[in-house]
Amino acid sequence: MNETRRRVMKQAATLAAAGSMGFPILSRAAGATVINYGGSAWLGHYSAYIAMKTGMMAKQNIDLRWQAFSTSSARMAAVMAGNVDIAGTGVVSALALMASGARQFQLIATPNNFGKAEGLLVRDGVNSINDLKGKKIGVTYASSSHVLLLDILAQAKIDPDKDVAVINLPATELLSAYRANQVDAAVAWTPTFNRIRALPGTKVLLDDSAFSLYKSYKMSPGPDVLLTRTAFAKDNRDAVKGFLIAIFEANAFMTKKPEEAAKMLMELTSLTYEEQLSTIKQTEWFSQADQRALMDNPGDFVVGLQKLSEMLLKLKQIDSVPQVRQWVNATYL
Amino acid sequence: MAEKKKWLQNSALLSISAASLLAFLLLWELICRSGAIDPVFLPAPSQVLGRALRMWDQNSLIANIAASGRRVMVGFFAAVVVAIPLGIMLGTSRVARAVLDPILSFLRPLPSMSWIPLTLLWFGITETQKYSIVFMGSVTPALLYVIEATQGIDPILIRAARNLGANRWQVMREVILPGCMPQILSGMKVILGLSWTCVISAELVAAKEGLGFMIMNGKEFFQTDTVVLGMVLISFTVLITDMVFRLIQRSVLSWQQ
Repeated sequence: MNETRRRVMKQAATLAAAGSMGFPILSRAAGATVINYGGSAWLGHYSAYIAMKTGMMAKQNIDLRWQAFSTSSARMAAVMAGNVDIAGTGVVSALALMASGARQFQLIATPNNFGKAEGLLVRDGVNSINDLKGKKIGVTYASSSHVLLLDILAQAKIDPDKDVAVINLPATELLSAYRANQVDAAVAWTPTFNRIRALPGTKVLLDDSAFSLYKSYKMSPGPDVLLTRTAFAKDNRDAVKGFLIAIFEANAFMTKKPEEAAKMLMELTSLTYEEQLSTIKQTEWFSQADQRALMDNPGDFVVGLQKLSEMLLKLKQIDSVPQVRQWVNATYL
Repeated sequence: MAEKKKWLQNSALLSISAASLLAFLLLWELICRSGAIDPVFLPAPSQVLGRALRMWDQNSLIANIAASGRRVMVGFFAAVVVAIPLGIMLGTSRVARAVLDPILSFLRPLPSMSWIPLTLLWFGITETQKYSIVFMGSVTPALLYVIEATQGIDPILIRAARNLGANRWQVMREVILPGCMPQILSGMKVILGLSWTCVISAELVAAKEGLGFMIMNGKEFFQTDTVVLGMVLISFTVLITDMVFRLIQRSVLSWQQ
């Protein structure tokens, strides 16, 4: 009897250890489909995080494994290598891959629309974009913030190579560079955006609503998309559908109970409760019903993406314009 | 006659090397064109060449090479200027070694990348910050090469010179320096290659041009042809600087031949 109990305890301990070491087959719930999800602290991943934490994914029989990446390009590289099954990403990276002709992924939804979570931050005394002439502006190259900066400079007819010094800084270095006065202005996205904005004597000069495509298509410079690895979706169609159901359930939760959602997300983003709550509230969280109009036939969002890729070509960020429609698959909705 | 034979042998070897390189490029091109490999994962040589020509037209190719070359040279020569005298001193003085050994042991395993946060605070987002990354990544290994080269001098030669009445300075000038110079120069050739790897770290932050920046930016946009081009250019530049170094070595150490 004692020996049997000891054996059972030993097996339980082994399983627990295996689970903590990340052996997927031993630790996952029986029958659940494992989805390796590529995320980060950016608001585009709030839906997946909430759905995972509240059990909405589990309800869809999905075992969501969160993998954090600091850049969209790193996340997309993991998708290409087959290590991530579903990812949220800023669309610039996805468009760059589409321009290279990569067919390993499909766009399946867009979870949100944000306009106030990214922008150009300046010190008091700078009142217009023209005041930045001759100054240093820190931004992460190849990001949506970079696209925003290039566009607003172009709108003001300011040459980014001659009239201002655009300094390439990783998102992690932007705050310290701004704080140390190494740059006069910074273009960033949340949570770095919120942290810089909270510094004394700093204000938001322009946000995504100043982006030229936002004015005409409500398109931010790097809107969030959800995408799936084509091979994964082919074998796990129901899991992809279930994933989207959980995502839109989480979006409804954030819309109805932003306070509760903010408390949960603080663990992911390290923002204060007030900052977190305001980020949730100022973002439009799409429902599943919204998706048809956005993604299908041809979908306002998809039309906007096409315009964005044309703009990226003009800004010399990509080599060719992909036909975005060919990468969109709205049948999982 | 012997010289002509040697020339013919060298030409034959050179032809074999060239043929091997051509065959490699051809095979690479064929594999890529067959569609066996997605161009996002590995671009064909012709695609890389196309990217090089486009960048040449935009004048960005030379600008990138020049920016990285300048950073490498400044960082490398600063490291050499510090490492040679300090290394010789450490190689010949046990007391100096006892003083600096613990510090060197601490610095030795640090990769150049680990200096990014501190150098950013010390020098800001300037060129000096980039030179300092190359310097910090090169100086410790350069020091170790010099120390080892100095310690490798046969003590009998030093004793013989002293027995013949040479003072400390004469021993240094006539025995130690000529004795360790070949090994120091060989070591510096290796360090120069290492400096090129450091420049990639240096160009991760606040760079607008340079081969490291070019690779990183290409990576962000999945332009693997740009990434491969950056890699090829680094190898090519190291190859050229290596040849220049060999010429310097030959003229400085002509007595050895």
